[in-house]
Amino acid sequence: MSNQVTLSINNKSVTVPAGTSIIQAAKEIGIEVPHFCWHPGLSIAGVCRFCMVKIEGNPKLQIACNTSVSEGMKVDTLSAEVKDAHKWALEFHLINHPLDCPICDQAGECELQNYYMKVGKYQSQMEENKVLKPKALDVGDTLILDTERCILCSRCVRFEDEVTKTSSLGIFNRGDQAVIGTMGGRRITHNYSYNVADICPVGAFTAKDFRFKCRVWFLSETQTICPGCSTGCNVTLFENKSQRQYYRLKPRHNPEVNGHWMCDYGRTMYEHLNASERLAAPEAAGKFTDWNVALKFLAKELSLAKSTGGANNVALIFTPQYTNEEYESVLNAVTKVLGECPKVFIWRDGAEKAEDFDGLLYRGDKNPNTRGLNDVLSAKGISSTILREDFAPLAVHGASLALIFGPEVQKAYSQFPQELSKFAELPKVVYFGVDRSELGKQFALRLPTKVFAEKSGTFVNVNGLAQKLNPNPPVFPSIRGVDEVFIELSQNFAALAN
Amino acid sequence: MPMMKEPFLGRNPNDFRILLEGEGLENSRGIAAYRSKGGYAALEKVLQGGMSQEEVINLVKASGLRGRGGAGFPTGMKWGFVPKGPGEKYLLTNFDEGEPGTYKDRYIAEVSPHMLVEGMILGSYAIGASKSYIYIRGEFFDEIRWMEAAIREAYDAGYLGENVLGSGFTHHMDLYFGAGAYICGEETGMISSLEGKKGQPKLKPPFPALKGYLGRPTIVNNVETLAAVPWILRNGPEAYRKFGTEKSAGTKLFNISGPIARPGCYELPLGYPLKRFIYEDCGGLLDGKKLKAVIPGGASAPVLTADEVENMTLDYEAIAAAGSMLGSGAIIVIPDDVSMVDVLYNLMHFFKHESCGQCTPCREGTGWLEKMSKRFMKNEADAEDLERVYEVANNMMGKTICVLSDAAAMPAKSIIRKFAHEFEARVKRA
Repeated sequence: MSNQVTLSINNKSVTVPAGTSIIQAAKEIGIEVPHFCWHPGLSIAGVCRFCMVKIEGNPKLQIACNTSVSEGMKVDTLSAEVKDAHKWALEFHLINHPLDCPICDQAGECELQNYYMKVGKYQSQMEENKVLKPKALDVGDTLILDTERCILCSRCVRFEDEVTKTSSLGIFNRGDQAVIGTMGGRRITHNYSYNVADICPVGAFTAKDFRFKCRVWFLSETQTICPGCSTGCNVTLFENKSQRQYYRLKPRHNPEVNGHWMCDYGRTMYEHLNASERLAAPEAAGKFTDWNVALKFLAKELSLAKSTGGANNVALIFTPQYTNEEYESVLNAVTKVLGECPKVFIWRDGAEKAEDFDGLLYRGDKNPNTRGLNDVLSAKGISSTILREDFAPLAVHGASLALIFGPEVQKAYSQFPQELSKFAELPKVVYFGVDRSELGKQFALRLPTKVFAEKSGTFVNVNGLAQKLNPNPPVFPSIRGVDEVFIELSQNFAALAN
Repeated sequence: MPMMKEPFLGRNPNDFRILLEGEGLENSRGIAAYRSKGGYAALEKVLQGGMSQEEVINLVKASGLRGRGGAGFPTGMKWGFVPKGPGEKYLLTNFDEGEPGTYKDRYIAEVSPHMLVEGMILGSYAIGASKSYIYIRGEFFDEIRWMEAAIREAYDAGYLGENVLGSGFTHHMDLYFGAGAYICGEETGMISSLEGKKGQPKLKPPFPALKGYLGRPTIVNNVETLAAVPWILRNGPEAYRKFGTEKSAGTKLFNISGPIARPGCYELPLGYPLKRFIYEDCGGLLDGKKLKAVIPGGASAPVLTADEVENMTLDYEAIAAAGSMLGSGAIIVIPDDVSMVDVLYNLMHFFKHESCGQCTPCREGTGWLEKMSKRFMKNEADAEDLERVYEVANNMMGKTICVLSDAAAMPAKSIIRKFAHEFEARVKRA
């Protein structure tokens, strides 16, 4: 193809589309050119001057981020000249950096530290006093800014200009007095502010939500999908395994879904995962019980409902926050046990504006699997009724047993406590969910469910893209997934119901 | 060593004038005085004689005129980079004269502001620009007034505005005031500033000739460069080439400062002997001081020792061969009673203060050099600092978006090497 260009980098051949930068071409074949200011999701600034490479025939080193590839180009990133340029570029970055790593929250995921180990390892020659700048500035609801640690790569400024178009940040003053700051005392208040902390390669911007809570080297990563809305951003979830404590989410690059970013609302999706927020064990009439007792109870209730009125005597109430696999296993088991599928209701938030979209990522449908639930139901030819504020259809249906699959992200339901008490008016409720409130103690049976971080399953996003979740062990080892519960119920129904 | 052309050997620089033709005329800034010396004849010749843009560019190319702002890039060639065809283009005049020691552009405004106006109209015609701006230092209160008056007169005389001299060429000119940032004299820094942004140089490519002011093809020329254009078009490139050397054609304004008898702005043919200029034309050093060093082309030009001055001529190639540069033509004379340690600190303080701060090597390096030179000044430096100054400066060169980093590094390297003994004497004793 004529618009493809073949070049060699460190004697390795690579073919990329014309117009590709050297830094991207190198990335294609696993060669990292050290860089600070370049970010694939932002425009090119070319200011850190770190990504110097040697191009054969060119007397001066060139920056790899702003140099396009050309046919037959020979690039070198490993020669002594290039390595020396990298070392010096790093040294210039560090001479006024406070080197307060022991008290810096970025330590462990700091590009200055990483590159020092990769291309630095020099003895400091700086004997002068460092330039002092403002520290610990409160620049928004989510961010703290330390301008001394800042290396002025301008990623944050470009993010504000180009992605959120809020232009809250700028670089003020010049020379070594140059400093990042907010324009006219403005604060960073938009729904994408944590991305600023993410793209900051150093500890200048730190997230209020995470700083001083946990050292990053204690965190293990799980690649999964955000349950916060129907966009289904690809995320990395950070957990301290020894504490069984989740600390944060960060976006994972997926050009088809979220690019490099995620919203601040999605960042809170670790809060409901931790033990303090979770129902630990099954409860029968408000008292802890064990899974065997609970399963027997459920089987008996289903059996009773069937014998007194058939499938019509049961109502299934779903929320769009479970995986396709969970919906399948519930529908299959209940259909098998009852002989036919009972009436299905979909419980949705009364205040939601599901069609809302901020143009970037955040959607009004704060459920990750609306599309998946609809897909599962329509594939099975099952019709459903929406419960939104008005719960009358449920009363009209008049089932003696309601199986409610409550949301794991309860804050997506603005009337959650009120609606929970409405459910409590039903004759008999088996509630699946994470809720541990007093209200829920009124239910005949309350069963803890796994949350997205603990599931392997599928969410289908608003555009119909099916994406897999990756499981971690549940915070309480005894917790069982809805799919496990219903598969067991289906397999051992006769024994359990006796 | 380039040969001086015969007619000008032994010639008093006061005997001829190109750029300073108007010097001494009564009301020399007025349009009448300018016209009396042939002013606007070139414009009339070009526009009414039906000269094409290409012809104007070729004449300027043939004259050998090189950019007088410092880099010495051939002007006609630069104009030739602008894409032909429709669409807005801009000519910007760099009147942000900020190189320490330089005061030639303001002198042109003081003597013949119309010379710049005419040069700008001609340059704009050549590149097809219907709008040009003079980016002028905000501190130049008088020069701003003079330029504004000249532009007004040019409008009244029909040299500016719609359909200039009935030729169908339309051109408008305006002034924009800078705020005293050295970096806004760098062409892309100037463009950023003119666009209303922070004055920071832009990443190249794209180059301004293709994508400059407001994303349109833009030529940025120095005041002195454009001011030479009317004379060249009036008298022909051959006449201009009679002055100067093969590679450095024409005349240039030189600003000399320091403890000398007659400092000031002189017009000299390029290739003029530096020693003769200092000792004969400018009357030598005051109070019997001895020459120690000369900065030949503004603060960023590497320093020349007194020995190097002996046979130096003032042209691009001779000074480049000695590892320095003609730059803006600002000659700073340093006598033997001035410490080079102080000179270094003075220069490094300037560049540290003027670095825009976007590129790391410059932002951090200029500050570092300033601090190290300060330690020498206070007799607090270590022996290793000599080498360190050189190394830091060396690693600031060729690594940044614009050449301010190089501009700071070059004098540092030359001073610390050529006058190492003065620095060694300042190293702190154990």
